[in-house]
Amino acid sequence: MLNQKELERYSRQIMINGFGEKGQDKLKKAKVFIAGVGGLGSVTATYLVAAGVGVIRIVDQDVVELSNLNRQILHHDDDIGKNKVYSAAKRLNGLNPEVKIEAIAGKITEANISKLVAGCDLIVDAMDNLPIRYLLNKTAIEEKLPFFHGAVNGFEGRAMTIIPGQTACLMCVYRGAVVEGSFPVVGVTPGVIGCIQAAEVIKHIVGTGQLLANRLLIYDGLSMKFTQFKVKRDPNCQHCGSEG
Amino acid sequence: MSVKIKLHRSLAKLADGQAVVEVNGNTVGQCLEQLATRFPKIKKRLFEKDGALSRVLEVYLNGESIYPGELATAVKDSDELDTAVRISGG
Repeated sequence: MLNQKELERYSRQIMINGFGEKGQDKLKKAKVFIAGVGGLGSVTATYLVAAGVGVIRIVDQDVVELSNLNRQILHHDDDIGKNKVYSAAKRLNGLNPEVKIEAIAGKITEANISKLVAGCDLIVDAMDNLPIRYLLNKTAIEEKLPFFHGAVNGFEGRAMTIIPGQTACLMCVYRGAVVEGSFPVVGVTPGVIGCIQAAEVIKHIVGTGQLLANRLLIYDGLSMKFTQFKVKRDPNCQHCGSEG
Repeated sequence: MSVKIKLHRSLAKLADGQAVVEVNGNTVGQCLEQLATRFPKIKKRLFEKDGALSRVLEVYLNGESIYPGELATAVKDSDELDTAVRISGG
């Protein structure tokens, strides 16, 4: 049940066809896991908190650095040197104190991932490296949790939604790891992709619209074009080949 | 079969700046090989040393995914191949 304050706060989205008070109540009851509060995580967390998701668990091991501030909009100049999850939690609480933020400062590993995602309804992939993305994908498949992928580089970004047992997964499309270091990026790119991920999460929870399932959406900010490709399940996929 | 290959921005740089290259081949693999023959600088971005499809390259035939084990997929005249490069920043 929504109280009077919630009905007013979320009134403009409750007006949307297919959303309504019922959809808002679903958001209120949802618990979302966001892996990383860097460029993508800052944006997805901001919009999910604004939309009224009940509980958001954020996990990140990093501290805020000056070079983060061109894109990681939850962190401000006076947060440099602090754990990202704490500066993020502070800003998110300020935006919407009705949402419970569970901030965990630490590394996501194979040993702790199941415990970290326990009790959550879905996983948002806002990481900056492939090994942890693969670990999240594998966990999502095993735990049957919808998985919302996003990635950025420069002016380019991409997003895809994975429903375990039903759709292609990240490992169907990606193969192996490569050496990764600092990547180039301008803040608007995770802004665009993070918003797409948040929109996918909201649609999934509310149960409206069509998801980016079996579809990879690629954004090219330089030519300002969106391209979508159909992706299919790989029967030999190491992660989902034997599922569903 | 005459097939258009749309090159990702990072690959077009290695193909004299061309965003679209027309090649001839009977399969997806043959089309990619011809692309590599015409623009040798692109070869190592398309294939691993053992000849397998590069781990960071994605190929789409008429907008649908083609995985490494599917390079023998036949192509028709006027088919289009797209190339995308994996990214992982967050």
